[in-house]
Amino acid sequence: MTADEIRRAVVRISHEIVEKQAGTSGLALVGIQRRGVPLAQRIAEAIEEHEGARLPVGALDITFYRDDLSMIAQQPVVKGTDLPFDLNGLTIVLVDDVLYTGRTIRAAMDALVDFGRPQAIRLAVLVDRGHRELPIRADHVGKNVPTSREEVVRVHLAETDASDGVEIERAPAGYGAPKVEAVG
Amino acid sequence: MSLAEPIAGTGTPIATGTPEVDAAPETQSVPWPHRHLLDVDGLSADEIDLVMRTTDAMREVLARPIAKVPALRGRNVTILFYEASTRTRVSFEVAAKNLSADVVNIAAATSSVTKGESLVDTVRTIEALGADMLVMRHPASGAPYLAAEIFGGSVLNGGDGWHAHPTQALLDLYTIRERLLPAPGAAPRTATASGQLLAGRKVVILGDLLHSRVARSNIWTLTAAGADLWLCGPSTLLRGFEAWASRGAAGRRFTVTSNIDAALRDADVVMALRIQRERMASGLLPSLREYAARYGLTRARLAAARPDALVMHPGPMNEGVEIAPDVAVGTNSVITEQVTNGVAVRMALLYLLAGVKS
Amino acid sequence: MTTGATLERLAAGEVGALVVELDIGRAWLVDPASGREGPGEIVVRDGIVEAVTWLEGDEAAGVDPGGVVVAPGFVDLHAHLREPGNEDAETIATGLAAAAHGGFTTVCAMADTTPALDEPSVLARVRAAALASGSPVELLAHGAVTVGRAGEQLAALGELADAGVVGFSDDGAPVGSAAILRNALAYVGTLGLPIVDHAEDPGLTAGAEANDGYVATVLGLRGWPAAAEESVVARDLAVLADVVRDVPGARLHLTHLSTAGALDHVRRAKAAGLPVTCDITPHHLALTDAWLAGARRWAWDAGDDPWTDGAVVAAPYDPGLRVNPPLRSVVEVAACLAALADGTADAVATDHAPHTSVDKDVEFGASAVGIAGIETALGLLLGAVDAGRLTLARAVAALTVGPGIVLGGRSRRRSFGLVEGAPADLVVFDRSDRWTVTPEYLATKGARSPLIGRDLPGRVLLTIADGRLAYEDVSA
Repeated sequence: MTADEIRRAVVRISHEIVEKQAGTSGLALVGIQRRGVPLAQRIAEAIEEHEGARLPVGALDITFYRDDLSMIAQQPVVKGTDLPFDLNGLTIVLVDDVLYTGRTIRAAMDALVDFGRPQAIRLAVLVDRGHRELPIRADHVGKNVPTSREEVVRVHLAETDASDGVEIERAPAGYGAPKVEAVG
Repeated sequence: MSLAEPIAGTGTPIATGTPEVDAAPETQSVPWPHRHLLDVDGLSADEIDLVMRTTDAMREVLARPIAKVPALRGRNVTILFYEASTRTRVSFEVAAKNLSADVVNIAAATSSVTKGESLVDTVRTIEALGADMLVMRHPASGAPYLAAEIFGGSVLNGGDGWHAHPTQALLDLYTIRERLLPAPGAAPRTATASGQLLAGRKVVILGDLLHSRVARSNIWTLTAAGADLWLCGPSTLLRGFEAWASRGAAGRRFTVTSNIDAALRDADVVMALRIQRERMASGLLPSLREYAARYGLTRARLAAARPDALVMHPGPMNEGVEIAPDVAVGTNSVITEQVTNGVAVRMALLYLLAGVKS
Repeated sequence: MTTGATLERLAAGEVGALVVELDIGRAWLVDPASGREGPGEIVVRDGIVEAVTWLEGDEAAGVDPGGVVVAPGFVDLHAHLREPGNEDAETIATGLAAAAHGGFTTVCAMADTTPALDEPSVLARVRAAALASGSPVELLAHGAVTVGRAGEQLAALGELADAGVVGFSDDGAPVGSAAILRNALAYVGTLGLPIVDHAEDPGLTAGAEANDGYVATVLGLRGWPAAAEESVVARDLAVLADVVRDVPGARLHLTHLSTAGALDHVRRAKAAGLPVTCDITPHHLALTDAWLAGARRWAWDAGDDPWTDGAVVAAPYDPGLRVNPPLRSVVEVAACLAALADGTADAVATDHAPHTSVDKDVEFGASAVGIAGIETALGLLLGAVDAGRLTLARAVAALTVGPGIVLGGRSRRRSFGLVEGAPADLVVFDRSDRWTVTPEYLATKGARSPLIGRDLPGRVLLTIADGRLAYEDVSA
């Protein structure tokens, strides 16, 4: 995906979210660290532009909810959770850059319900690369990108990387098909 | 906290712009390589910084409506304390439970230890019962190293004899960091490249240094953070420290003195240590009254320090002896914060240790 | 075997068997009795040293002290063989096997058995056990100074002397009081035997764990001050000076000295003509208190601060290092090496102190005190020789004629040199053959030697005691 394609996808997703909710009330966006967070910001800005309403945006770090802690040698970075609003009764749209096995989303839902009881949880992702291992599906998808397990999807966002873009690469030598969930 | 930014100081490899693989969690430039935490001597400045930042995250968890995360779900943490200590033992238990670990809490006075079961046998039994992590406190310096020799999981030293109390030193450092340094946004609350979190700050540890594992561990962490460290107490309780001070902790020197006025002058932090009644019996001090008169941290003495100086104490306190009651609860005191931070620091350490492949 | 040395003998591999025929060719001989060392050959027939030949000129070419060395069998003035009473830790049989493995052909057992060796019947038990072991190593014994080593009443000193003890010691503990020491020195002074004192002030060492110094401070271990040894040595020497006025034959031997101060006192006392001798253990000559921090450098390689010069390579608080007197600082150990080199210290004695694993594998402060070092003694001394801190001749003398002087003629051995016509008491070792200390290789039952895993020079190849085979290396 090019930077323009990303921009258009963000705009389309922001419209879809409002359409599904039939408005902007009762909605909040929660980006999953790391790159889901700037994406959630961008979606919130797009909604503000075409609807005039500023949705609450939060950040969710699912590091402590991973199911594979013991299987990695190095500690994952703890990036921080900030949910500055009450979840109870809200429709939360989780935002992430890539949807893969679904384990990140499962962990995110576990985390969310520790904060309160949302009315509903929806999912918006920039890229759906397939290979689900859990019964999880995205409500809003920027682009479906079929991949093989050996391939790697790289998402760059200007907020965290040099520029915007999505690339697929064959896995670097020695990496191999991951047996653990892609999260992050 | 800005949403787009991770906690100040983390995620540095990503900021350089190199693309990260999406299939693995983002790993940082500082892995935690230690299977055990037996002392603080061997922690690098980066590793201490990692503990501080992980503690920040744990404090956020503690602030939640449900102060619990499943990070250690399915792990068994056994707490084995050979010395009576309610506060630290409970602090570890709370920390482990907040991480969803299963906790077994053994107070040695009630266990077969009193029947003469050796430490080695006790540790083997605990391991056979399924413990993944062992938190222990023991009156003999060095005991956790023996446990680490035979225990298959991780050993976390909750205090050994006079030697070390790593979690206390780290929570002390965290408390100072929180209070002395500006909030994020003003300046990064992180170690600079030289590890000098406390550069230019005068920190005084006051009291019974000789018998104090809290002091010994703090000497390592405070000098590593660049503090101008002073130890002060009656000379019988400073025995041996001059030789250490002149060589330094891994070469980082500090000052030892019996002159309390010189020690407290312009101090940024004053850490008072508990003085025990037994010290009179062993002929080290004439009386508690004399100690309180000459070395007690009173408001009058504290006036020599900076007005915003922090007053700390590892607890439990003998109010009226090493610390005056009004100082203990006064505006300078951060003693209750130490306790709260203690749970967060212990959560951080249990989490970091649990992530190491054994 | 190295560079041309040869060791030929009739196959007779059993311990205790008479060495009928042994030819040692082109080895480096060290004779501390005559002070001579150099290339040579030895012939043993029917257990007797038939010939000691010194090679000269061309014949001597290529033989150097770095290869196979032959010396008189070593003498250990101070070993704890634990029998009777603590056979789980060591028996006389295993202790003598360990001694032979270490190159020792004469061993003096200390009196701290259970019951204490405070009367002749216990000595008889000890001797019977030695005989039953079949070991040819000579077992001598010290008697206790006081009954039960309790420091109150004098033991059966005269009877023990008649029964053949070589000295008197309450070791494990100091002699109970200056008064008892004075009386004991006077009493046995007329018997021609020494009082062997373990110099320690228990008032200063109550609960002490490690040498009072920088390392103990950092590690949070209770300090064991040098003054605890120095003050008692000074007191003992003053008492000795008093006694010799009335009893010129009185003799004092100070065992396992470890401090510069104590050795200075001895140096001055000897200069003043007092009849005092002393010994130092191998571990006090080679290890320092930095080992407690996890350092593993020999004393001659050690810096001042194990935490800054990268010396820490092992876990700290190894209970195998807990010993009395404690391992000392680099400075003190240097003084000990100097005292051995200049003759202030007469002998090296191992203070072999085996303990069971149950007693050793516990937290440091609770661990039994002592190092079972009779098999590693030579290796440690040769390390000091290799490092230039000691000559080979001095090291051998400290293990042979030095202790021989203290024994004062009570050994069956007429000489502690390489003497033609005498029964063979020999040790053959190869300085170039390094060996790794492992529990399997050690003959002692003593657990947790702090040298496990270390590499030492000078593998012992053959030990012959009283003309009979005591130990033969079969690892080649």
